Formats: sequence, structure tokens, C-alpha cells
Amino acid sequence: MFSLKPPRPTFRSYLLPPPQTDDNINSEPKIKKLEPVLLPGEIVVNEVNFVRKCIASDTSQYDLWGKLICSNFKISFITDNPMPLQKFHYRNLLLGEHDVPLTCIEQIVTVNDHKRKQKVLGPNQKLKFNPTELIIYCKDFRIVRFRFDESGPESAKKVCLAIAHYSQPTDLQLLFAFEYVGKKYHNSASKANGIPSGGGGGGGIGVGGGSSQKTPLFETYSDWDREVKRTGASGWRVCSINEGYMISTCLPEYFVVPSSLADQDLKIFSHSFVGRRMPFWCWSHSNGSALVRTALIKDMLQQRKIDQRICNAITKSHPQRSDVYKSDLDKTLPNIQEIQAAFVKLKQLCVNEPFEETEEKWLSSLENTRWLEYVRAFLKHSAELVYMLESKRLSVVLQEEEGRDLSCIVASLVQVMLDPYFRTITGFQSLIQKEWVMAGYPFLDRCNHLKRSEKEAPVFLLFLDATWQLQEQCPAAFEFSETYLAVLHDSTRVALFGTFLFNSPHQRVQQSSEFAISKNIQLGDEKGLKFPSVWDWSLQFTAKDRTLFHNPFYIGKSMPCVQNGSVKSFKRTKKSYSSTLRGMPSSLKNGIISDQELLPRRNSLILKVKPDPPEQSDSQDRGAEQYFREWFSKPADLHGVILPLLSGMHIKLWKLCYFRWVPEAQIQRGGFITAFHKVSLLADEVDVLSRALRQPQGSPPEAPCPELVQSRVYFHAGGPHDAPGTPDFLSSSFPFSPVGNLCRRSISGTPLGKFLSGAKIWLSTETLANED
Amino acid sequence: MSLLRGLLGMELIGISVRLFLDFQEKPASLDSALILDVPLGVISRIEKMGGATSRGENSYGLDITCKDMRNLRFALKQEGHSRRDMFEILTRYAFPLAHSLPIFAFLNEEKFDVDGWMVYNPVEEYRRQGLPNHHWRITFINKCYELCDTYPALLVVPYRASDDDLRRVAAFRSRNRIPVLSWIHPENKTVIMRCSQPLVGMSGKRNKDDEKYLDVIRETNRQINKLTIYDARPNVNAVANKATGGGYESDDAYHNAELFFLDIHNIHVMRESLKKVKDIVYPNVEESHWLSSLESTHWLEHIKLVLTGAIQVADRVSSGKSSVVVHCSDGWDRTAQLTSLAMLMLDSYYRSIEGFEILVQKEWISFGHKFASRIGHGDKNHADADRSPIFLQFVDCVWQMSKQFPTAFEFNERFLIIILDHLYSCRFGTFLYNCESAREKQKVTERTVSLWSLINSNKDKFKNPFYTKEINRVLYPVASMRHLELWVNYYIRWNPRIKQQQPNPVEQRYMELLALRDEYIKRLEELQLANSPKLSDPSTSPSSPSQMMPHVQTHF
Repeated sequence: MFSLKPPRPTFRSYLLPPPQTDDNINSEPKIKKLEPVLLPGEIVVNEVNFVRKCIASDTSQYDLWGKLICSNFKISFITDNPMPLQKFHYRNLLLGEHDVPLTCIEQIVTVNDHKRKQKVLGPNQKLKFNPTELIIYCKDFRIVRFRFDESGPESAKKVCLAIAHYSQPTDLQLLFAFEYVGKKYHNSASKANGIPSGGGGGGGIGVGGGSSQKTPLFETYSDWDREVKRTGASGWRVCSINEGYMISTCLPEYFVVPSSLADQDLKIFSHSFVGRRMPFWCWSHSNGSALVRTALIKDMLQQRKIDQRICNAITKSHPQRSDVYKSDLDKTLPNIQEIQAAFVKLKQLCVNEPFEETEEKWLSSLENTRWLEYVRAFLKHSAELVYMLESKRLSVVLQEEEGRDLSCIVASLVQVMLDPYFRTITGFQSLIQKEWVMAGYPFLDRCNHLKRSEKEAPVFLLFLDATWQLQEQCPAAFEFSETYLAVLHDSTRVALFGTFLFNSPHQRVQQSSEFAISKNIQLGDEKGLKFPSVWDWSLQFTAKDRTLFHNPFYIGKSMPCVQNGSVKSFKRTKKSYSSTLRGMPSSLKNGIISDQELLPRRNSLILKVKPDPPEQSDSQDRGAEQYFREWFSKPADLHGVILPLLSGMHIKLWKLCYFRWVPEAQIQRGGFITAFHKVSLLADEVDVLSRALRQPQGSPPEAPCPELVQSRVYFHAGGPHDAPGTPDFLSSSFPFSPVGNLCRRSISGTPLGKFLSGAKIWLSTETLANED
Repeated sequence: MSLLRGLLGMELIGISVRLFLDFQEKPASLDSALILDVPLGVISRIEKMGGATSRGENSYGLDITCKDMRNLRFALKQEGHSRRDMFEILTRYAFPLAHSLPIFAFLNEEKFDVDGWMVYNPVEEYRRQGLPNHHWRITFINKCYELCDTYPALLVVPYRASDDDLRRVAAFRSRNRIPVLSWIHPENKTVIMRCSQPLVGMSGKRNKDDEKYLDVIRETNRQINKLTIYDARPNVNAVANKATGGGYESDDAYHNAELFFLDIHNIHVMRESLKKVKDIVYPNVEESHWLSSLESTHWLEHIKLVLTGAIQVADRVSSGKSSVVVHCSDGWDRTAQLTSLAMLMLDSYYRSIEGFEILVQKEWISFGHKFASRIGHGDKNHADADRSPIFLQFVDCVWQMSKQFPTAFEFNERFLIIILDHLYSCRFGTFLYNCESAREKQKVTERTVSLWSLINSNKDKFKNPFYTKEINRVLYPVASMRHLELWVNYYIRWNPRIKQQQPNPVEQRYMELLALRDEYIKRLEELQLANSPKLSDPSTSPSSPSQMMPHVQTHF
């Protein structure tokens, strides 16, 4: 599956300084015991000393020496050596910089280059040779490599086997989160009162003093009720028939249904639906149209009758009694196998294949993965449903066999496009709770935490990618940054957060109750163990690092903007558009319409005219096309609907996510982040000024309060290092660093000449025989 | 493509043909007639479509092909002879050279506040580089363009090479384009030299003077005992050139030099590649297989090779500490691309608006990139094999760099686009003629206006708000297909179906924040003045934003 071809030297210099002859190392031979940092409940299962972590593929001069350990949570490489060539690290509080969570491991390859053998290690397998080398392929696109030349052959082998064993658990309860939470419960029980920290909803990102809103988890009646009220949905009610998961094990305990359907009817209908997943409400437009998702009716005899009843009920819940538009997702969108196949190809192309060899056919290879095509298909379909809801004022029902995969993406994208709330951080998190976690998206199977690969599919990543496309096109409309999206994706690979661990909320309750009993944990009134929530970002990142989640381009509702030279506050009215997407006259005047802009609007172009007069034919396509064209001809209301541009050239590869570990693709001190940095400085300056303005006049300056003064942005104006210019550590991979990730060529900063003459090329595993 | 119905009117105003369309059915989004200004210089080809007997809608009319990727097609009514008149007038003024008419730039009487012809002064530019110095001298040997008629009057050559040496070297270089200095590294003093191919020929001729001359160049740099020669061509092309008397520097003859081929293809390949780009974006943008269609044009691959070549030149000079000589066949196409891009990477001065103007003026205009032949100003022979989008390709490379380094350039995309627009428009004298001697003869600087006059009197329009000035920073773009993109805002800007983000939302947001900051500063100043008259003495009252910040921060 993975190509292990050796590198072919190619022209490219990496502009990093040559390795330093480190004085501190020579100054004092300090012998320190290398100890792993362990979380509660984490235990070391095996370890080996004198391991070399490879940093570059064609030279060993940057390699690090240390100890490799395997715990029940992660593999960890502990070293005293500082990371070479690295100017910056975005630290995850749960993981060291050389650590890989076991659930992030995709494949384990052991090599013995003396015997010319290699083997992909599965669980409970034997290894007939002592490995000289271990290569870990990670699910987040990293590849890490260790060499055991100087370590004890037997202990090296044991560690490899331990990693293989612990990264491929046979049972859900063997995932580390259970051990961790169990420990937390025991610890807190031995203290005073029983609620462990880190449970519950978790805050928002919680920076800037007091802005940490709680993310609604939709575990309770009241969260749903609040959402119904927030959207102004009339004709819909929260129903409790699934309390204790009495009706369906893959629906939430509470969900929203048409008011006209009685609990008794719902109970009867539920039997006819796949997984007993009857239609449930997602969201309502202010015009009354509702977005509903449902599984298919399996009971053919009852099909028409039930369908009719449900549709009537949805119509009745619409203030205008509008019709229902049904969208059969299985027929219109790629299925999960196709999505998985596209992803495997994309990954193969981005990180596994030699960089230079894929250059020539890069564009067509990228097209052949079909990943971008699928991203586009989901965006397109969602945009069409936006048209149905917003313009045609129809309620939309998403139909899918089980309604647990494609429906999650489409329901979420439609809401991101229609409702600005879901473009804030708290809103986006609540959306993921509502349409993914609670709606029974099978995270366990799709993330493949238990390595039963047949159900694996990156459906959630596809959604994040599509969100990124929207963000790329409409940067001022999103409160969060692309770093946030990438980190969110990474968090699905850390088996600690209850958020991404289960196939359904019921599974969490059931599994954790079982576990609690077996471990003698008193749950009290709680339904299952409280796992840490991913939304409690303070578990993973410091307050400062979390500021990188904020998009400095975002224009929040309460944020002032400038119009016609005067500062105004944003209000969500149709007329107060942000001037963000227009205003500046197009400078491309030469040859365009005329000097006085005929269309002082967005994307003014020549012949900006409806090509054909609208005809009577009410074909859906035409109407939708018309709607899109009109939307794009008007200035976008950042606090209203946003729609994506969908032509082939507008759907792009999410480079930060897919290239961040590829050293060759890194633009040193370049990339979009450098503009981001510049805007952050300015946004920070504006913040400081506005605080100064708000300060009561005449009062003495307040004592500095770090909490209050804490900036919303990562980069500060007026810091001690604010030499003008782009900081050294910025790159197109920021805040991630590809240093230490296995690549096919040197990442050293040697001039081309030296490079061509070739340093030591690492032993090729290409010609090695596979053991079995 | 969009179909518009209406009355077509035409008026020649100055440089442009102005086309009026008065609509029968007025589109809702337009409140007046559509006026289309097409500079006559942009027209590459005018054709009549259909004849008197043509049937069917839109089969009779005029088809105008433009040099900037546009195609305009006007369907006309067959009655009357309006088409013939229109065709004749258009042809006459679009191709003035064929009708013994002057190019419009000579008739243009526009006045600007600044004189763009003053932007480039070679002596000043060399002085900025620290030249002359004890290794390099400025020579006036080409004052009357006698040594080389396609070179500028002023050249920088090794101090140790006499004028006689230069003449003897000229005899061995194609079109007498001898190696001369383009740029010198401010610290390590290595240089970028440019020239044409040596006249080696089939028999493998050698020339002691040329060999000695390159050795003199090598000796000006004490750090590395080799001189690096970059031949921009693919190896096979260089070999093939021997048949026509050209060739490359062999190892035997030039012991102290290392030669590398950069595999950049010739003007014909580039022209065909761009044609393919047009095919995939016009009349309809290829949708279903956009990426593979784009790949099949090879346009980005060529961009990649040019950038890769320039990176190697820059890297060799900067990190390799070796002087380099760059040539192709004649040294006015690929060579200009490589030297100017390498200089842009190495020298942050060229990344400012004026610096870039000087770079274009120096490496392209003064060193004889054949703009007249490559663009075909005022010439009706649209199929001329000499035409090629070499300069466009260079500007595309610059755009690619500006995408990768959004804060490194003082200018924005509009700046690059306006340069390209006036590359064709013939409104300015800047890009007219093939070389300096011809321009001198035609008194271009006296009789025409410079494009830089227009740009420099509206500089704000062309400024990149993210620009952060950084001296001595070498920019190395990543010349990988993973980062190179088609320049949609240039190549597909005429397609009404392709929605563009104009203006760039990110840029726009930044401008808003700037305005907000200024507003706050103003308010704060007012407040402070109002509240504490004591503070109003000039030492504490901030007068500019930059002084303001530290003051504001003292509150915390």
C-alpha cells in the first residue's frame, strides 16, 4: 500500500541554517533520566533506549537520540536533544512533540535492513526478525521513523509488538479514554465531591475575558428547546419518547418533531424506519421552512401511508403550509466507500508518493483522487437546498438509508450557509454536537479507532474541508480560523474525548455504564461516564495558543466596521451590508464597461448580464441558477446567507491540512499566514484602542489585569519582538511543523551544490523482501 | 458566452474603439447601454464571419480576437453595408503599421504629474548596487550601439577587461551580446551576468578571448573557484543550435566553469501552451475536468521551470557564493526571465513599485527583449512566429511569487494587470520597439508618455496593504505544482460566468481595520485634548498613528 521507494535527488534547496554545533551539549555532560509525561490512568507498557528518531531521510546528522516508549495512550519519544531546525512549536498539552496517540496510528512497518526484510505489523502477530527500523504511518498524514541500530534488539522488537498490540485494541473499553476517566472518577471520589473536571460541555475557546460561551451539547431537553426558540420555529416541539433510548439506540434522547404528531403516533411510525430513525428536525429558516432529516422507511407496505402522514405534518408546521421537498442523498451524492477511496488516493498522493515524481502529473492525479469533486458535490447539493429553503420557501427533508453519514454533512453545510450563528465558534461546535454527535454519526466506525477498516470513511473531514472552502471564499464571515478546523480534525484522532469516541450517544451510556460497574465506579444520577469534551479546548491548548483559533478577518455582529468613513456597529439588517466585499472600484477598467462603474458591485465584470431572459420554464435548475446568479450579483451579507462558488477552479485543495507535514511543500516565511499575521497585529491594535476609548474618562488608568487585557489574537502589536517584518517561524505549515516528519529528501539547508553531490542516502527498503 | 442583443455603435476615441450596445431587452442589472472599451492595440485579428447568404442567427458579423485572451463577436444584420465600413475602419486603426499610420502612443497627449521616463537611470541604478567598484567598471563602449545594437548604451563589465577585449568577445557571442553584469550581491559580491550563446558551431570552435573573459569574471569572486553557467535551454536544444552556428560552453574549453541546462522551452512552445490555456477558458471554461485540462496546457509546468531556474540562479549566488552567467540563444527571452526573477528573489528593492519598474526597464526594455516582435504592436500579421507571451510569463511568475509571499511585495495584483494591459494597448511608449537603439532613433522618451507616469501618479491604487518592507531578505518561492495556480483574475477575467472575488475580501478587511484604527486614534486624541488640557503640549500629544501606540499603551 505504501511506497517505500528511495528518494531521487532533485533541485530544491531548503532555506534553513546549517545545523549548529551546539555548545550547550558539549559544555556539561548532564545525565538525566528520560521520563515520559503520563496522564492519569496512563501506564508505560514497554520501552526501549538508545533509539534514533530520524529527522531527514538522506542524512542522519539531525537525528535525535532518546527513548521510545509505548503506553496505553500513545507512543512517545523522549529526548534531551532539542529539535533541530525548528523555530516554533504549537504545543498540545496532552502530547509531547514527538508523541503519536495510538488511535492516530494507521500502519506500523518494521524493517530489518541487514536481513532485508520488512513486515507490516498487525495485532497479535509474531515478528521473526529483530527490527532495525520502525516506520509509523499516521492518520493525520505524518510519517515518523525510528532506528534501533544501537538499542537492544530484543527490547526494540518488544516495543514494536507492544505498539502493534495496543494500537489495535479489540474492544471499545480498551481505548484509553476509559482508563483516564475511570482514574478521574476514582481520584475525585477519594477527594470530596464526585464531578471530575473536564466533563460536561466545556467552554468555548474562552479567551479575551468572559467570552467563553458554553457549547450546547444537545443532550438535554432544554438545549433542543432553546434551539427551537432561537430559530423561531413554530409548529415544532421537543419530544421525549426516546428517553432512556427506549425507541432508538442511534437517536438522541430528545429531538424535535412536528407539533401535530403525537408521541403515540411517533412510536408506531418509528418501527417502519431503518434504525427506527424517524424524521427529526434540524433547523428552521426565519421564513418558516424547516430542515428535517430521516432514515428510509423499510416497511414497504406502510411506506406511502407513513410518508404521507409525515409530509402532511411537516407542511402543517410551516406557517405558509408550503410543500415538502425531499432530497434523496443516496441517489445524488457519493457514498461512504467512494469517499474513503478518494481519501486513500488523496493521502497516497499527498504524503506517500515521492514528491518530485508526482509533480509532473500533479493536477490530473489530484483530479483522479476525486476528492475535490466530492467536496464540490456536497457543497453544490447543499447550496441547492439552501435555494429550496430560502427562495422557494419549502421545507426540506434529507433522506438517506440510515441517515447517519451524508445527512450529517449536508444538514451541517446547509446551516453553515444559512445561519451566521453556525459560523461562530460556539455555534459551529453546537452544530457538530447537534448534527453529528447527537444525530448518531458513527465516529467510532468512521474514525476506525478499533482498526476494523471496512467501515472507515472520512465523512467528518469532508465536512471540515467543505467548511474550509466556504471560509476560503468568505473569510470575513467565519469567527474561526483554518487552524481551528485542522486542530479539530486532529482531535478526532485523540481517543480521549467522548465527543468522537462513539457511534451514538446511547453507546456512550451503555459502554460506560458497563465499564463503571466493572471498575466499581459509582455513577449516581449520571447517565454514563462523563468523558472530557473536545470543546474544552483548555485540555489541549494554552489560552495563548487557543487565540490562533480566531480569525482576525471575522466581522462579528457586534463588531464595528467602517462605512463611508464613519464607524458603525454591525446590525443584522438586510441593508447594512459589510463593505467587505465591495466598495473598492474595480481597477480593471481597461476594456471593461466604462469609467463610471455601471455595476458598483461585487465581481463587476464585463457583460455582467443575465445571458438569457428568464423563461417561463420553471425547471428547478434554472430557478436555482437564477437564484445563485442574483445572490452573487449582490453584495454578500456576511450575517446572512453565504453561498460557495462552485466551478472547478474555485474548489481548492486544503493545503494546510494536507501538506503541513510535507517539508518540500513548506513555504518558509510565506504563505497566507503572513497576511494573517499582519491583520492580527492591526486587529490587536484596534482592540487596544477601542478599550482605551471605552475607559471612563478622567479615571486613573486601571491596574493592568492580564485576563482583561488578553488579546483575542495570537500576534500582538507592540510586543517585545515586534520588529517589522515577518517572524522567522512563520511558514505555510504554521502552526504545525513538518520538521521530524519523514520525508524523502533532506530538509537541511544546504546549498544546491552540496545537495546534488548527495549526503548519505538512507537505506532503501524498496528491495526488501516482505516477511510473509 | 453571453449573448446580448442590441444596436451596435462604434466610435474611435483615441486609442480605443468604443463599442456601444443599446439593448433591445435591457438586462435588469444594467441601467444604461453597455459600453465596451477595447484598446485598438489589444486587437490581434479581425475577421468577417458569414457572407451575404448566411442563414441563421448570429452567423453574420465580425469576430475580433484580442491579445489579452478576449474574443468579441458581433452578429450584425445583413442589410446595408455597415459591416464593410466597420471592418475597414477597425483594420486601419488597429494595425496602423500596415497603413503607414503612427502608433497611437505618438499621438497621445495625456499629461501626468510625474514623468515615468525619469524612473530609470542606469547610472543611478548601478550606483545603488555599489558600482562601479574596484572589480567592475561602467563602459560607454556601446554609446552609439556599435558594439551590440540590441544592448543598452551603458554596460558594466569586469575592470580587467579592456574595450578591445570586449570587441573580441563580441565576435564570439550571438548578436554580439557579450556577458555583462546585471546584478551584484551587496555582501558576497558575486554577480549575475547575462549574455547570448557562444558561436561554437558544428566544428566546436573556441575563442581564447571569450574563455579568458569568463575567467576574468570568475576571478572577481574569491570565494569559489568555479564560475557557474546556466544555459536556460534544454540540453538537446543547445546541441541543436550548433547546427546554426551557436552552442554552449564545453567543459574542455571552459575548465573553470560548470554548465547546467535549465530545460526551459523556446518561444514557440510557450506560445502554443498559452493558446491551449485560451482553449480551456474560452468560450467556456472546461468544468468537468478542469485540473487535467489545465495540466494538458503545460502552462503551469513552464512557469514551474522558469521559476525553478531562477531559484537556482538566486540560490547559487546567495548560498553557493558563486558568480553565475545566464544565457539562452540570443539572451533576450529566457535570459531576461531568469535574471529578472532571480534579482526579484535576491534584492528586496525590486519588490517595491519603483524597484519593479526599474527591473522591467533594465532587464527587459533596455536589454532588448523584442517587445515589438513578441507582441506585434500595430502589426496585422497575427500569425507571426516571432510573437510569444514571454513577458506575460514573467509577470505570471511574479504573481505566483506574490501569492506565496503576500507581504513581500509593495504592489498588488492590479499593478501587474495594468502593466499587462498596457503591454498591448500602445497608449504608452514604454513597451514599443525591440531595443534601446530603435527607441532612441524614434525619440520615444520625447514623443510618448511612459506607463510609469500613469502608475506613479496613482500609486495608492496599486499598493498591497500587507506589504512589509524587509531589507536583504531573499525570497525562495516553492516552485511546485502543489502551489502554482492559474492566474484566474487575469486569464479568465473576461468570462462573465466566472465569479471573481473583486476586490480581494482579505485586502478589503485590512483596509477597513486601518480606517477603524485611524478613526479611533482621532477620537482618542479628541478625548484626551478635551479632558486633560495639560496633556496637550506637543511632547505628549500624539500626532501620528505610529507615535500614538506607545502612548495609548501606557494606560495599561
